Amino acid sequence: MDRLTNKYLRARKIPSTACSGCGLGQSHKALVQALDELDYQVDDIVWGTSIGCAGRQTFATWKGDNFAGTHGRVYAIARGLRLALPPEKKLILTVGEGDAFGIGLNHLLHAVRSNTQMTILVNDNLGYQSTGGQFGWTTPAGVVTDSSPYGMSEPNWVQPNMDILDILKSAGATFLARHVSMDGRPLVETLKKAVQNNGCSIVHTVFPCPTNFGKNALGSRNAIKIFNWIKDHAAPMGEETEDTTWQTGIYHDASNSRPEYSQAMREKVAEIQRRYQDEGSH
Amino acid sequence: MKRFLETGNFAITEGAILAGCRLFAGYPITPATEIAEAMSLKLPRFGGYYIQAEDECAAMHLAVGAAAGGMKTMTATSGPGFILYADPYGWAIGCEIPIVVLNSQRVGPVSGLTGAPGQGEFYNSRYPTHGGNYETIVLAPNSAQEAMELTVEAFYLSERFRTPVTVLADQLITDGLEDISIPETDEEKAAMGLRFKDREVHQGPEFYPPTDEIDLPPVVLGRGTNAMCSDWTPTEEGYDIETVEAHHKHSYRMIYKIRNHREIISRYETLYLDEDPDLIVVAYGTPSRTVKTAVKMAKEKGQKIGMIRPISLWPFPDEIFSKKAIYLSVELNYDGQMVREIQRAAPKDSEIHFFGKCGELPAVAELQDTFDKLLNGEPLNRIGWETEAW
Repeated sequence: MDRLTNKYLRARKIPSTACSGCGLGQSHKALVQALDELDYQVDDIVWGTSIGCAGRQTFATWKGDNFAGTHGRVYAIARGLRLALPPEKKLILTVGEGDAFGIGLNHLLHAVRSNTQMTILVNDNLGYQSTGGQFGWTTPAGVVTDSSPYGMSEPNWVQPNMDILDILKSAGATFLARHVSMDGRPLVETLKKAVQNNGCSIVHTVFPCPTNFGKNALGSRNAIKIFNWIKDHAAPMGEETEDTTWQTGIYHDASNSRPEYSQAMREKVAEIQRRYQDEGSH
Repeated sequence: MKRFLETGNFAITEGAILAGCRLFAGYPITPATEIAEAMSLKLPRFGGYYIQAEDECAAMHLAVGAAAGGMKTMTATSGPGFILYADPYGWAIGCEIPIVVLNSQRVGPVSGLTGAPGQGEFYNSRYPTHGGNYETIVLAPNSAQEAMELTVEAFYLSERFRTPVTVLADQLITDGLEDISIPETDEEKAAMGLRFKDREVHQGPEFYPPTDEIDLPPVVLGRGTNAMCSDWTPTEEGYDIETVEAHHKHSYRMIYKIRNHREIISRYETLYLDEDPDLIVVAYGTPSRTVKTAVKMAKEKGQKIGMIRPISLWPFPDEIFSKKAIYLSVELNYDGQMVREIQRAAPKDSEIHFFGKCGELPAVAELQDTFDKLLNGEPLNRIGWETEAW
């Protein structure tokens, strides 16, 4: 057990039940590292998750308060919860890309529109892997999956001029970034900025799944193969090559530029309450 | 006491605020929209929040999310929205989070008749989510005043049983204008029989043992208890697990905390049951009002007819169906829903009939005609319309 684990995570859940070679632990650790560097304590954070690989493997790992929502709805749960939580607590969500960009997209857009404080780490294993390996909304073109046996022929949302982050930016997101899980220090630095935005922050992070994605797409469950394949297709913004699928770094930083939803709501309600108390009637 | 000539929607809002509701999340839908409107006007004056959601699925998730943060919350809708609540109902039932849901029934399926009363969600309200392994609490008012009172009761029961409680109304109750009394003092509240319970906080990260106990505080996030709640089967410690043994324990609690405490929930109104009736007419919600008039008029004519009005629909009050008689279930649907529960609950050799209408109430005259036919052993027009097809 390393220092971060002892300080923040539950021994009962770490190591997780993730498959051998899964890359989720890299981005999970980067997030805990970021919280530690920002000097957050266990009680400062309420940690929510979705379902699927990303949700299940991170649920109840945090020593403090944990919840896992229904598939795709955790953004709506979090928006209600945010109003009930003490304002100083931070909401962190670790979810999958099927949850965020598929079933939950409408709820995600409204979390973004309202700019409700939640830092959402979207862990992208390039498809629905916990159900055995079906294609999703970020599965690269041509890739074979269990539900695209002839190769992925549908467009996805990580293509030039068709980027999910552009949609989220237009919807009003105040912090957007993209990484791959093996980014290490740059990912930690991005996550620190994401958490410091008092609003809705989304960090999209691709991580390798050797068990299903690697097996189907690359014909091998060798973890090194899929790690290298993702690395070879990622590059920091400005250093792209022809092979780059994932440009990494901060896409959009409008941190603290718009009122945070629960804070604005509290202020508005306090003002209305004062007005009616002054009038002496309801 | 404050008195108003107002709608059921208004009364429900007043009841919710009286019970301590401080967050309402909803989505506009006829005939429950006015609750959302009234909440948006009233709640901020009491320091509460109104949230208009992107859809009903989000609306109830928002309300349950805030309830998981320790607030008393509510949502309200009608049939087409109620089915989108299936997902968050499951989350609230499984995580054992108190919340109040109001469903003003209209005529379905799908959009159907939007501004007319129906009773199509009798079974939906019993099984609002998938998967089984739970009991539900459903209360059915038959007036605006009772809708206010049962909204208060729903908050009370949801806190004691750590579960969603559904108030199953209909369009006539929520839209209709009636005389409403809202109590102000503790004496007035007590005189009305209103019960209240504050939110308490479950201490510690552990979830619950396999117990039928009520009055255990709900899990609340953000209070430093290191709480865990999720959509997965929980261990007693609060972690997610996929074992039959853990799910058996979890299910026991979800079923028996309600099943073993039915007496706290059970409510009904009866008329002339102790006068050895030949016919017992059963109705809940607004049709019970014309039924009551018809049954009273039948007594004046010398007919021996009694009435049962279940107020708590689920768990179904089996205990009041103890007399052998001819039973008639009067409902605002054509398929007959509550009649099936009467068939199950009544003594085996009872004769059980159904009279259905929807979109409008049965008239007293057609009920009288139906009573006469049943007492004379004549065949019944079961669906209120003279058509060959039926």
